[in-house]
Amino acid sequence: MVKSGLATAEALLLTFSAYAGSAQLAALPLMAAQAPLWLITLTAIVVNLRFVVYSVVTRPYFARENAWRRLWLGYMVGDVMFVKFVTRTQRHPDDPQAIAYYLGGACCNWLTWQIASVIGILAAGSIPAEWSVELAGTLALIALVVPLCAQRPALAGVAVAATIASLAHALPLKLGMLLGILSGIGAALAVDLRQRGVKA
Amino acid sequence: MIDLYTLGAIAGLTAATFIARSTLLLVGASLRLPAPVEAALRFAPACALAAIIVPDLLFAGGGTGLSWSNHRLLAGAAGAALYVAFRSVIGTIGGGMVVFWALEALA
Repeated sequence: MVKSGLATAEALLLTFSAYAGSAQLAALPLMAAQAPLWLITLTAIVVNLRFVVYSVVTRPYFARENAWRRLWLGYMVGDVMFVKFVTRTQRHPDDPQAIAYYLGGACCNWLTWQIASVIGILAAGSIPAEWSVELAGTLALIALVVPLCAQRPALAGVAVAATIASLAHALPLKLGMLLGILSGIGAALAVDLRQRGVKA
Repeated sequence: MIDLYTLGAIAGLTAATFIARSTLLLVGASLRLPAPVEAALRFAPACALAAIIVPDLLFAGGGTGLSWSNHRLLAGAAGAALYVAFRSVIGTIGGGMVVFWALEALA
């Protein structure tokens, strides 16, 4: 962000309020070109579409909260917390502390993400790119996904999601990722239905 | 320092965050999906992670796609194998990075 000409104060404000890494990155060239604000907003919404899928999944768990709290529960979601929360809630469906678990994890995630962003903004360029430290984040996600692959529908979903998202990775605005997630869920649904059909 | 246009863009991006993440939580209470679809949504986390991880290993940071010269992909595969063997998150991250740096140094 700093490299693309944003003042330090602007970059910090953007990071603290928008809390959306890929949307911020997508918006920077548009801001540099002084694109209309509605276009920037719309672009960010499209880049964020996978969170719409996440909210469809978490919707039943948050249904008993009031509107104000649901607004903030949604804002606090991230990829990792979404996965941890949904996995845990399926294991303990009646846990009265599920929301507390989610909020605790999401706040930690928000804080570490912001701390890392501030370091990135202030130390922009002093971490050598050839170290590829960002690979550590992907490796953490790998540790998260492997235990989820134990069931056959999940394995089918993972295979299809990975394949489609990779084939469509050149699509703009992270639409390939969204396409991958949706087709993965579709594949998991198909295998799930088949398995139940065999058992019934 | 901060000009009005940039401030407007920041406001727009923040609005986008809320719109994408919270709209369905606010108005979706009446949204009823077919029971099998609702049940299949429990696999959404695994699918989302796969759709994030694999394209990232293949193409991000100068990744060369599906090939033996793609060190990010090999490091990711090593990380997954390490997790299966030891069930350790730190081991997966540390081991994967070591594999990646070693491959880069040897290349």
